[in-house]
Amino acid sequence: MQGGIKLRKIGVFVCWCGSNIAATVDVEQVVQEANKMSGVAYAADYQYMCSEIGQNMMKDAILKHNLDRVVIAACSPRMHEGTFRRAAEESGINPYLVEIANIREQCSWVHKDKKAGTEKAIALTRAAVAKVTLNTELIPGEIDVVKKALIIGGGIAGIQAALDIADAGYKVDIVEKTPSIGGRMAQLDKTFPTLDCSACILTPKMVDAARHPNITLHTYSEVEKISGYVGNFNVSIKKKARYVDMDKCTGCRICTEKCPSKKAKSEFEEGLKNRGAVYIPFAQAVPNVPVIDTDECIKLKTGKCGLCEKLCPSGAIDFNQKDEMITEEYGAIVVASGYDIIDLDKFGEYQYDHPDVITSLEFERITNAAGPTNGKFVRPSDGEKPKKVVFVQCVGSRDKTERGKSYCSKICCMYTAKHSMLIKEKYPDIEAYVFYIDVRTPGKNFDEFQRRAVEKYGVQYIKGMVGKIFPEGKKLMVHGVDTMSGETLVIDADMVVLAAATKAKSDAVDLKRKLNISTDINNFFTEAHPKLRPVETASAGIYLAGACQGPKDIPETVAQSSAAAAKVIGLLNKSKLVNNPCVSAVDESLCSGCLACTEMCPYDAISFKNIEIDDHGQKIKKVVADVNEALCHGCGGCTVTCRPGAIDLKGFTNKQILAEVDAICR
Amino acid sequence: MENITKKIRAIAKQALINKDVDKILGWKKGDLWSESYPAFITKAEEADTLIWDLFCINNLSKFLIKELQKHDKIGIFIKGCDSTSFNQLLKDHRINRDDVVLYGIPCEGMVNPEKIKKIMLNDRVTGIKKSENGFTLTSKNKTKDVSGEEIKYDKCITCISPNPVVYDELLGDEVKNKEREEERFKGVEEIEAMTPDERYEFWKGEFQRCIRCNACRDICPACSCVKCVFENQNAEISGKAKTEDEDSFFHIVRAYHVAGRCVDCGECARVCPAGIPLDLLNRKIIKDINEVYGEFNAGFDSITPAPLVTFKLEDTDTFSKQGGK
Amino acid sequence: MSLDSNIANKNEEFKPLIVAFCCNWCSYAGADLAGTSRLKYPANVKIIRVPCSCRVNLNFVLRAFQHGADGVVIAGCHPGDCHYSTGNYHTRRRFSLITNLTEYIGIEKERFKVDWISAAEGNKFATVMNDILEDVYKLGPNKKLRDARWKI
Repeated sequence: MQGGIKLRKIGVFVCWCGSNIAATVDVEQVVQEANKMSGVAYAADYQYMCSEIGQNMMKDAILKHNLDRVVIAACSPRMHEGTFRRAAEESGINPYLVEIANIREQCSWVHKDKKAGTEKAIALTRAAVAKVTLNTELIPGEIDVVKKALIIGGGIAGIQAALDIADAGYKVDIVEKTPSIGGRMAQLDKTFPTLDCSACILTPKMVDAARHPNITLHTYSEVEKISGYVGNFNVSIKKKARYVDMDKCTGCRICTEKCPSKKAKSEFEEGLKNRGAVYIPFAQAVPNVPVIDTDECIKLKTGKCGLCEKLCPSGAIDFNQKDEMITEEYGAIVVASGYDIIDLDKFGEYQYDHPDVITSLEFERITNAAGPTNGKFVRPSDGEKPKKVVFVQCVGSRDKTERGKSYCSKICCMYTAKHSMLIKEKYPDIEAYVFYIDVRTPGKNFDEFQRRAVEKYGVQYIKGMVGKIFPEGKKLMVHGVDTMSGETLVIDADMVVLAAATKAKSDAVDLKRKLNISTDINNFFTEAHPKLRPVETASAGIYLAGACQGPKDIPETVAQSSAAAAKVIGLLNKSKLVNNPCVSAVDESLCSGCLACTEMCPYDAISFKNIEIDDHGQKIKKVVADVNEALCHGCGGCTVTCRPGAIDLKGFTNKQILAEVDAICR
Repeated sequence: MENITKKIRAIAKQALINKDVDKILGWKKGDLWSESYPAFITKAEEADTLIWDLFCINNLSKFLIKELQKHDKIGIFIKGCDSTSFNQLLKDHRINRDDVVLYGIPCEGMVNPEKIKKIMLNDRVTGIKKSENGFTLTSKNKTKDVSGEEIKYDKCITCISPNPVVYDELLGDEVKNKEREEERFKGVEEIEAMTPDERYEFWKGEFQRCIRCNACRDICPACSCVKCVFENQNAEISGKAKTEDEDSFFHIVRAYHVAGRCVDCGECARVCPAGIPLDLLNRKIIKDINEVYGEFNAGFDSITPAPLVTFKLEDTDTFSKQGGK
Repeated sequence: MSLDSNIANKNEEFKPLIVAFCCNWCSYAGADLAGTSRLKYPANVKIIRVPCSCRVNLNFVLRAFQHGADGVVIAGCHPGDCHYSTGNYHTRRRFSLITNLTEYIGIEKERFKVDWISAAEGNKFATVMNDILEDVYKLGPNKKLRDARWKI
């Protein structure tokens, strides 16, 4: 506002922070100078402003001297801005009329010379006073919360989070891309470090999720579009046509047995077995209803066949089904979309195209009693029992070249130990060799587990890498090196198991764009803070669980899922959410309606509206930009895109920042 | 050219008679043979004043904003550079496409009367005609053959859009600019080659002549804000006193505000009464955008987002040692 | 490396003034980390906190030079890590053009630095500040784009 600036009564409180500030900044001089600054009605210092005594001193001064805004010159605002805002509010001052000058982390702790440090502290305090002079009262808005959560991904991470949220009394939807929930854990045979049967511990949870009155499963479905904001997400879900009526199907499996089209490779079996065009991915699938693969179904492609329809005793097959699009509202979203393992096409030296060279997931299917070989550990090429099995660790992990991933995939050392122990347990005469760089076993009972493989089961651990594998007749000659002895060695293996690196799913980037959250250079979703906020994202209301955030094993995944669920429950518990009031606002008299701001806003928070203004007696219709305060996160990017400065950011207005620049440059 | 003049008059007359448009924007002859001015006509009889010749340099697009506030539908004759300006105005939502009828005229470049004066000096030229290799200037005593390059505006010599990129009707065949498009950034490169102090002295010398008349801002199609930041006291960016820093700020900030939206029509430099080479500022930014973020020609369509409101994940920058992500 | 006591090198006491705009989530936190790690850099650097590096307007930079800053630094999150998801991609494009433009006008490019500093890079923060101070020290006080009416 031009012209008459209200006379401010600013209180400046300078903290000693014990000797943290006082050692290199002359606090009393800062107070002296502060008293001379325009608008300052009262200045004082104290040793620990954040303490109860310090805060009370501030509150007393506010009441006694009728102060209307406050500057605290102390530690970083990232430490105590909240503390002082609350204290000011308790004295009747709007919490946004408080500014902090950082004279500790950015002054007293980094400068040795007391004179220079004091000068700088004075300049920073002057800047804070200049800014607070222009602060306006800001009142956070309130948002309603939809009491329903969405979980993207139906693996163990998604299932655990769903069960926790549902048990707390809130409705949950799980959207799963494949025809059944269960995820990677359903593919595993036994799990470390307890060697529990994976399906035995997973399927009860799958059934709980299916039966829970608060949980709705949307399998064979994908999230298409997400809009909205925390407490009010609007999500479109595409439910792909199964061509099977879920209400009529009894799960008898006659259709899947009799389907004549058997060329498709089963995704669940990692391609080791074929499946029909109409299929259920695995025996314990939930829901226990098949789907028809449109690319393989003879009837859907040519109009002929239709055998399943004829044979189905309940008449559940329906070739006329169409994809369905539904829209739902949610208060919170949990991303639990899981992981993949890398393609091995760039690792030709390991001869992955040889049928007896397999990945760890393929190993799980082979040893699984419900797998393609009914649990018999045999070579895929000729069905014979192998005599020597070589395990190669770190295939593509800890790899600084573009072929692989630079990170450690975390689970491979443990599952390789598990694999080697499983085959030694069943077939003690098989020789097992593990080529490793390091053995990483940090979890509870993990190290004891791995040592058992060496000490009890006689698995031979060789510290070195494999250079190349040459197939020779029925054997696979594995050329490696033992760095402990310094010698190269060749093992005539019958089978080789590669611990391929884990990687983020290929649709992670697509999903992140829909959600407007970030991924790191490896396409894993980024958490809000690597140490202190591991299950939240930078976007309020969207949480992460499981391996989509980074490689992790089942115990950690379950822990993270429950943590995400706790955050969701805390969010849904609130009747109203308070939003950040430092948002953008449009001055309609300055706005030309060019809408450049709407194009750059990272949150799509700006749209436009038509208004009518009175221009010198003439009524003119105008298009102006319009900010949705609930979506605006307050980054301020629009204020720079706006050339006339029609849109400004509350709490960090143009004038405020210019005032700070002026104060510093004095 | 006479053909086109005939066509223009016929079209304008018809459009006004049929009430297809309320007003026509075109060009008419000024007092001197080397002057053509913008013409705004509302009556069909006035159509015979419209012309098309070698001096129709004015970019008429910017006038549409104000005129459309008074009239519902306007017909406008546009050259190539005017059409890119039009697209830029559309992109900024300052005008509606439906309110305008565009008559596009392919242009081989306009002649700069100042250049003619420099060549002929005291010999007063009375006419100009197109010749085989360029033009023939006629004065009282003699004739002189000159090439197009010698007398055309610099901006026309390096023009990248001789043909209108948007129009409802095209008068005449499309032309190919035979002149040197690749020399567009020559002036910029010369300044880049100077030392920082030399550059500052150069620009200081230029900016101190600025009288803040705002002609450059008024004619610019990218400068269409209802209240310019320099008129807004609250923006605290400039006052009324003539100071070196604030005059420089006007040009630096304006160049940045039109970055990625400047169609390089060159009108700003032409209309400056102090002769400040403003196009050297805008072209510097265009050159940088082309080099770092991919070639971008503002105004070639009205939908592609401007470079400064979009980004690519693989963008590099000019300041850190490694760019991209 | 600290220049606090190296004033004797110049014949007049040249105390450079560097204004740094730091984004709240990364570079300001990085500056705080430099503080908690007790790294040393000269007191001539004064920091203004902004929510995101995309908040910084050309006007602020010009104002700083106009009113006596000898150097300006803008520090934001690494591209891809912006707390506001895409804010610093815009910073990157804007300031690539602006730094080139100010250099074209004649401001030495060592005076105006833009860099990416994450919350974990306290060391990088101190290095960047020390580096620009050293460069500005060699160049001397900035007389360009100064407002003659402001205190010189």
